[in-house]
Amino acid sequence: MKRDHFNPDNFSSSANPKMWPCQPDDSGVDELFAVLGYNVKSSDMADVAHKIEQLEEAMGTFHQEGLSQLADETVHYNPSDIASWLESMISGLNPIPEFESSSDPFLESSTSVNSQMPLDLDFGSDLIAIPGKAVYPRAQPPPKKLKTSIASAVPLPPATPLLVDSQENGIRLVHTLMACAEAVQQENFKLAEALVKNIGFLAVSQAGAMRKVATYFAEALARRIYKLYPANQQDSAFNDLLQMHFYETCPYLKFAHFTANQAILEAFAGKTRVHVIDFSMKQGMQWPALLQALALRPGGPPSFRLTGIGPPSHDETDHLQEVGWRLAQLAESINVEFEYRGFVASSLADLDAAMFNIREGETVAVNSIFELHQLLARPGAIEKVLQMVSELKPKILTVVEQEANHNGSAFLDRFTESLHYYSTLFDSLESCGVGEESVSVQDKVMSEVYLGRQICNVVACEGVDRVERHETLEQWKTRFGSAGFEAVHLGSNAYKQASMLLALFAGGDGYRVDENNGCLMLGWHTRPLIATSAWKLS
Amino acid sequence: MAGSNEVNANESKRVVPLNTWILISNFKLAYNMLRRSDGTFNRDLNEFLDRKVPANAVPVDGVYSFDVVDRATSLINRVYLAAGETDAPWGIAELEKPLSTTAIVPVIVFFHGGSFVHSSANSAIYDTFCRRLVRTCGAAVVSVNYRRSPEHRYPCAYDDGWAALKWVHSRSWLRSGADDSRVHVYLAGDSSGGNIAHHVAVRAAEEGVEVLGNILLHPLFGGQERTESEMRLDGKYFVRIQDRDWYWRAYLPEGEDRDHPACNVFGGRNRSIEGLSFPKSLVVVAGLDLVQDWQLGYVKGLEGSGHEVKLLYLEKATIGFYFLPNNDHFHCLMEEMKAFLHS
Repeated sequence: MKRDHFNPDNFSSSANPKMWPCQPDDSGVDELFAVLGYNVKSSDMADVAHKIEQLEEAMGTFHQEGLSQLADETVHYNPSDIASWLESMISGLNPIPEFESSSDPFLESSTSVNSQMPLDLDFGSDLIAIPGKAVYPRAQPPPKKLKTSIASAVPLPPATPLLVDSQENGIRLVHTLMACAEAVQQENFKLAEALVKNIGFLAVSQAGAMRKVATYFAEALARRIYKLYPANQQDSAFNDLLQMHFYETCPYLKFAHFTANQAILEAFAGKTRVHVIDFSMKQGMQWPALLQALALRPGGPPSFRLTGIGPPSHDETDHLQEVGWRLAQLAESINVEFEYRGFVASSLADLDAAMFNIREGETVAVNSIFELHQLLARPGAIEKVLQMVSELKPKILTVVEQEANHNGSAFLDRFTESLHYYSTLFDSLESCGVGEESVSVQDKVMSEVYLGRQICNVVACEGVDRVERHETLEQWKTRFGSAGFEAVHLGSNAYKQASMLLALFAGGDGYRVDENNGCLMLGWHTRPLIATSAWKLS
Repeated sequence: MAGSNEVNANESKRVVPLNTWILISNFKLAYNMLRRSDGTFNRDLNEFLDRKVPANAVPVDGVYSFDVVDRATSLINRVYLAAGETDAPWGIAELEKPLSTTAIVPVIVFFHGGSFVHSSANSAIYDTFCRRLVRTCGAAVVSVNYRRSPEHRYPCAYDDGWAALKWVHSRSWLRSGADDSRVHVYLAGDSSGGNIAHHVAVRAAEEGVEVLGNILLHPLFGGQERTESEMRLDGKYFVRIQDRDWYWRAYLPEGEDRDHPACNVFGGRNRSIEGLSFPKSLVVVAGLDLVQDWQLGYVKGLEGSGHEVKLLYLEKATIGFYFLPNNDHFHCLMEEMKAFLHS
């Protein structure tokens, strides 16, 4: 019998200790504030109150004009820490900081290249990696044949309501997926098999994102049930190709590059010799924009050294060197002194600090976009890599990761989390290509394949093969903290520019940037999907 | 003048707990910087500063939430439900069965405050408040992420509220009741949300859509006239008249004044609501809110139109008293709301 759990008497109100003024917890953070998103220590309350009074008094001497200008010109950081925000506002009544949003080289470069400088480059297309077309020409090697046969490549139907509130079939579909995953977890493979076939039927009658997501998850479940593990998951050239389509289709990668570059640019302020170590080199899409921004910065560019890490390639070509060469050409055309080195490594854990030959007086930035989670597949690997990074003594470590926990110990938890996550991602893909900046069908389909491979890895693989071990920012924070790193906060200027970037995208309506304890997250509507954070040695 | 600000700060500090004072003062100062004298608004910085929380399909303290998006309009509703034993354990909401087949479960369509400009359904202050509502009042809550001004002026917020009301009514999984299973809808809101609740209720009454009750928490009403409470309390408890004026200018159509019917509800420019089946109302007025004369006038207006209204006047309360459960006003409010929803 279903207990009527809506009986309000079941929730004691006045008797509930949580309802009364809270005792501070051990760390001293006021619980009532914590739940509202603020970090205020109980012991600091009086001091914070005093700062408020100070700020109010200081603001009293400004007219409204001056106040809004103050707000515009100050860079705000980490609003959860009320005390420090107040401090920065109080001292913000001083001269503007060196990095004004109005003279941001990123924005300048994107507009100026558009209108003024049709730079004459061998590889043709415009320089803007953000937000427009890919920097490199589309003369790619012909795409490898798709190994899997269950990729949907049908024309897209009109938009439908989200997963949660769709027609009856949608709910049944989700339930069947969950029931199947549960059966798999319980190793009841007969039941799982029956259910996975059912999913096929239900999926077909769905439309849009739901159908595609269900199809990918069903395929992954089938692989797990029948032990037909995916081959060639580590084919890096194909992965790179898929990622480029993903880059074109939706803003996630562009946001990642943009926000990471913002942090690197700030870290390089005033430095004359800089060295970027990129753990996620791939096609080097991140770097043209940074090079341009450095070229345009007040005081001129530094001498720029780039070390790119990439996996071994399966064919004869040396991708890493090619990428480096193209970047060198670009750098030359914009008068930035440039040096490049590529390292091939199957795993980041194979590297050691000495290999990088860090030079006296050079400022180092280490950059990792969607790479670190792969290390979690081997015990000790992440610790080794973070140790190695700290030996490089970087000024900044920029990290972008998926904001989700797909690395829980229970299969069903991973399945549930990833189902939510990829449903949201696919849903956002549906909205791309609606508008002037229309995206080709091929880009979209390949993006789905790109994500589908991740789904397959999360669901069907185990052990060292399961490399899509995404973890949340909170979890990463703990790891970085243990390795001796502390957060470098991304501020309101980065936030604002990221928002502007997103507004340029079709479907920009649904994309949201959120500030979270000094980090920036990009999400679809209210669900954060990727997180950019920056770190330095404590 | 710096001197009078000092006096004001001390006055408000005396009547609210320290953490409430810090919370609301922090908003006050931040908002002061976001409003520009030319009527524009620093939207990016506002969103940057706002503390937001995602929905959570895993129950926390007995309440779970999920977001539903209407892709055509990008309108988001955040739904809050009480966790029960029979819910699917996988974090997927059981969206086929009604809330109850034995009892009546009120569904509150909630409009968050923020003077039509600030906050969102996923702002931490409102997410927390809605969760508390579910727990204490034994209700389901649907929080509406209506479009805000100055980017979207009147009547956008009302249109979005109306769309949400229709949406809620059409959800089979929000129904309850033994013999007469239907969605038992109440409208509620604080500040601008209260104003929206009123206008949506009027439309509902005119178009025959059922609303069982309205709960207005220091709702935003106003007019050209400067009332006694506005002048007496100007700047004393976190709010100045000039702030209120700015927000009305940002919400109302350009060129309109505060006697516009959206703002001055019983000021003569509205159709009468006499004779309509307008729902019963619970109007909560904070005794230290400078808008109270307008709110009390609203209560009189409802009575004068023949509609049932209960006034809860909290003499020593300031705006935002309900954000933290650390004062008597909060508990009083919860008790009154619970009684109102289940009477």
